Amino acid sequence: MTEIGTPVRRREDYRFLTGQGTYTDDINRPRQLYAYILRSPHANAALRGVDFAAAAKAPGVVAVYTGKDIEADGVGGLPCGWLVHSKDGSPMYEPPHPVLAQGRVRHVGDPVAVVIADSLAQARDAAELIQVDYAVEPAIANAAGALRAGAPQVWPEVPGNICYDWHLGDPAAVEQALAKAARVVKLDLTNNRLVPNAMEPRAAIGDFDRATGEHTLYTTSQNPHVIRLLMGAFVLHLPEAKLRVVAPDVGGGFGSKIYHYAEEAIVTWAAAKLKRPVKWTAERVESFMSDAHGRDHATHVELGLDVDNKFVALKVSTIANMGAYLSTFATCIPTYLYATLLAGTYTTPVIYAETKAVFTHTVPVDAYRGAGRPEATFLLERIVDLAADELGLDPAELRRKNFIPTDAFPYQTPVALQYDSGDYFSTLELATKAADYAGFEARRADAARSGKLRGIGIATYIEACGIAPSAVVGSLGARAGLFEAATVRVHPTGSVTVLTGSHSHGQGHETTFAQLVADGLGVPIEQIDIVHGDSAKIPYGMGTYGSRSLAVGGTAIIKAMDKIVAKGKKIAAHLLEAAEADIEFKDGQFSVAGTDRSKTLGEIALTAYVPHNFPHDELEPGLDETAFYDPKNFTFPSGAYVAEVEIDPDTGTLEIVKFTASDDFGRIVNPMIVAGQVHGGLAQGIGQALLENCVYDHSTGQLLTASYNDYAMPRADDLPSFALSTHATLCTHNPLGVKGCGEAGAIGAPAAISNAIVDALKDYGVRHIEMPATPEKLWRAVHPQNMAAE
Amino acid sequence: MQKTVSLTVNGKPVSATVEGRTLLVQLLRETLGLTGTHVGCDTSQCGACVVHVDGEAVKSCTLLALQAEGRSVKTIEDVADGDTLHPMQEAFRDNHALQCGFCTPGMIMSALDLVKNNPDPTDREIREYLEGNFCRCTGYHNIVLAIKAGAAAMRGAPVEPHGAAAE
Amino acid sequence: MEMHGELRIPAPRAEVWAKLNDPETLKTCIPGCETVDKISETEFTAKVVARVGPVKATFAGKVTLTDLDPPSSYTISGEGTGGVAGFAKGSAKVSLDDAGAETVLRYGVQAQVGGKLAQIGSRLIDATSRKMADDFFNRFMGVMTSSDGAAPAS
Repeated sequence: MTEIGTPVRRREDYRFLTGQGTYTDDINRPRQLYAYILRSPHANAALRGVDFAAAAKAPGVVAVYTGKDIEADGVGGLPCGWLVHSKDGSPMYEPPHPVLAQGRVRHVGDPVAVVIADSLAQARDAAELIQVDYAVEPAIANAAGALRAGAPQVWPEVPGNICYDWHLGDPAAVEQALAKAARVVKLDLTNNRLVPNAMEPRAAIGDFDRATGEHTLYTTSQNPHVIRLLMGAFVLHLPEAKLRVVAPDVGGGFGSKIYHYAEEAIVTWAAAKLKRPVKWTAERVESFMSDAHGRDHATHVELGLDVDNKFVALKVSTIANMGAYLSTFATCIPTYLYATLLAGTYTTPVIYAETKAVFTHTVPVDAYRGAGRPEATFLLERIVDLAADELGLDPAELRRKNFIPTDAFPYQTPVALQYDSGDYFSTLELATKAADYAGFEARRADAARSGKLRGIGIATYIEACGIAPSAVVGSLGARAGLFEAATVRVHPTGSVTVLTGSHSHGQGHETTFAQLVADGLGVPIEQIDIVHGDSAKIPYGMGTYGSRSLAVGGTAIIKAMDKIVAKGKKIAAHLLEAAEADIEFKDGQFSVAGTDRSKTLGEIALTAYVPHNFPHDELEPGLDETAFYDPKNFTFPSGAYVAEVEIDPDTGTLEIVKFTASDDFGRIVNPMIVAGQVHGGLAQGIGQALLENCVYDHSTGQLLTASYNDYAMPRADDLPSFALSTHATLCTHNPLGVKGCGEAGAIGAPAAISNAIVDALKDYGVRHIEMPATPEKLWRAVHPQNMAAE
Repeated sequence: MQKTVSLTVNGKPVSATVEGRTLLVQLLRETLGLTGTHVGCDTSQCGACVVHVDGEAVKSCTLLALQAEGRSVKTIEDVADGDTLHPMQEAFRDNHALQCGFCTPGMIMSALDLVKNNPDPTDREIREYLEGNFCRCTGYHNIVLAIKAGAAAMRGAPVEPHGAAAE
Repeated sequence: MEMHGELRIPAPRAEVWAKLNDPETLKTCIPGCETVDKISETEFTAKVVARVGPVKATFAGKVTLTDLDPPSSYTISGEGTGGVAGFAKGSAKVSLDDAGAETVLRYGVQAQVGGKLAQIGSRLIDATSRKMADDFFNRFMGVMTSSDGAAPAS
């Protein structure tokens, strides 16, 4: 039996299709109270006082808490999980991050007080009665602006608002190579700030059992154990043995549900104080001003080429907006998940990158689908296209000329990573063929005859997934291990429960992981149950992010199955009175090689649990094995995307005529699920390129896009259907040869779309259009005379 | 202000005491425990809360519970026939038109409304109709395929090979 | 946002000036104003119900008069908080010039909002501010032109 490579329909779908999913807000605990959080309307203000006397007396109100109560109870601040050092060796500045503001608010949405009442309506009504005395001060929302002399200071002890000034690579070698280069292409670009917008708003329920002293947090998390560790150890000082974190069905994450958020600590703390469950659910407007945002880079890039059009050096200088506080993994995104990817798919021999991480009066910025890799890919693929344009070369040809040769793997890049496998020529070939790249000029001419501007754009990408080898990331400042854990529990009659640390919130683990087990143990898929998301059930697991679930979590399952099979062979050897070395395991049968004597997995399991005839001197009873897998290297999915767009010069409206993607994800377990992951990533990448933009009023720090009125989410009629293909080179260091597919679309799509737009507008002297390329921007680009008038 | 509202939900008569400001979606989720209908925004754009009121698709966050007095409301919990999925639900499953599942109930209720009025919609018509239903996971590609397949199944047309597995 | 306007009022400058400093007149003319209480010659407290798009809130705040140059010009500033709806502040620089027996009133208004008002209603702020300014000066014109010169019932 083999389930690997089969589009098995998802086992989780039935409950979602019939309205029986259990998301956090669907859970209600007996005697539950409701929390409403009063948030700052100001970006930077001293808190002179919070008068909640009237609110405390309002109907149904049980408690009102402010930062003073948090402080009095010794509640700690939210920790940052990655220490980055500046060029000069000094550690980054890590400001305190209280769960309720202490004396000052630093962004619109900073939590000031929490009202807890019998009903949500009562809590909200009471919050209206709270009088907060703010002394409003000037604010700065934009990172480049925060670096200017005289800019408002987010943290008085951080002059210039610089969290760290980091670099990677050899600046002298890069300067030397650029000085000798035949041509240096330069570009300034921004990577627009985004709001992740999982469709399920964040929610949290704290519960406390007086009888056992156990605290339980139900939360919308991608990684319940990480939350348990951070909240237990750093914020609430609770022993992990008495703290259970449950992440039930979660309605999308895209990175935004990795982090430990204030509300999780508030409800857990308040539930213990009030001895009643406390529930908080974000309104969408709260999500916009409290979920970690993504991207927000301003970058200057220079690419040097020699006379043969080979890339000789790359220099990248980036200002990254951190927001007002450091979110859990904020600091590693514009450094180790960004600059290390700047070789891309190319043989550029020397690369230098520097990143200034800057505090501003905005919501914290952290990983959002792709996390650093979309930013790296965008600038690299834009500068390569610009180089092709300046040199009058075919962008596909310039890429091929600089690709890492397929026989050069393993390939050591100048920015720390060693790629294990890849074949960039094949994915580019597949994508350009499927897109009929060769026939494009005829289509451009056709479009021109009907007054439309057509363009085609290519982007290749590489990403580092399967995060990550713990020792490597530890040496780079990570404060956590990044292994994954799995338990494979074969029950007495042969059905199997898998307990995995990889949380599933749309990725379909309950199906893909079951396919692995069906394949590995020969058990029918219906007899396999995948359990995740509850720290009381699963072994200590690191959760789901960075396209790691199959490469790391799946490998942990494989390793646990290996242990099951090894033990099963010993039991079978005993029962079949054969040498262990002669026992083979295939399709759920343990058999003696070359004979017809065999035992099923079910028979072996029954023997393990009813060990009457059992090798007790050698083995313990039971058939239940756990494995922790720490990857040896990252995995390196790659691919090539081709976008074809058509712009109406009269209105600036853009249509994506065709979007073609060819990816190398290594071995594919469930092609249906993989295609779905690519579709979703592409939609978010196209959203970034054309629609989405988080806007702050720079003079006041007011968040102006805090609802779907103003933040343009991609809708069905904004997007095309996608043409996908895959070409596999196997990952060399995990048993399945898998690489990860969750983020690819979001990484490769923005550059492909932007390159197509610039190609469409090339007769107008356009070198670059900032994202999102809205109709207004496109219209202005073809009507430059009207720009002057504005 | 507390008032009693009486309506039919999923074929059964129900009465509940609500505040004047209570939304239909709050009545469904909190009072009646029908948590399949979701809330994804507070500006009536995302469509996660779509239900049918007297046979028409309605965003249940835009209607006060009291406005449903005497009406018949159908939610996602009443779409399948016992344990057998409705052809539209089956088409969503077969075409992998859902990932996290949060938008799915609203998508299905909207899809059923579309097909009721347009039994054989084109891709473009489906995409335009779904303007009021956000999905952040699927990129809509498979949702469009699913609605086409679901519509075909509902009108008894031969079902074309699904797109998802063909990828 | 900023906006400017002027209107010609058929009344002498001193009379216009007096009305511009009268709490009752201000209460009548500020759209949605429920109370105006004078706490000094240049300070008032006020309560205003305002609606911006989907957000409706009662703003409690202070109105102050600065740059006083009677009977020619002043700046009237208001700042109010609307609870969880956020805050609004604005100021109008108002100047009066004689035009025969009449008076020309010129104004320049600046407005700013924050919190939920900015998050959900920012696109509507310009239109709302313009409407509120228009309403204010229309009503003020009404006060100045009503036969007895007293504030009309609002």
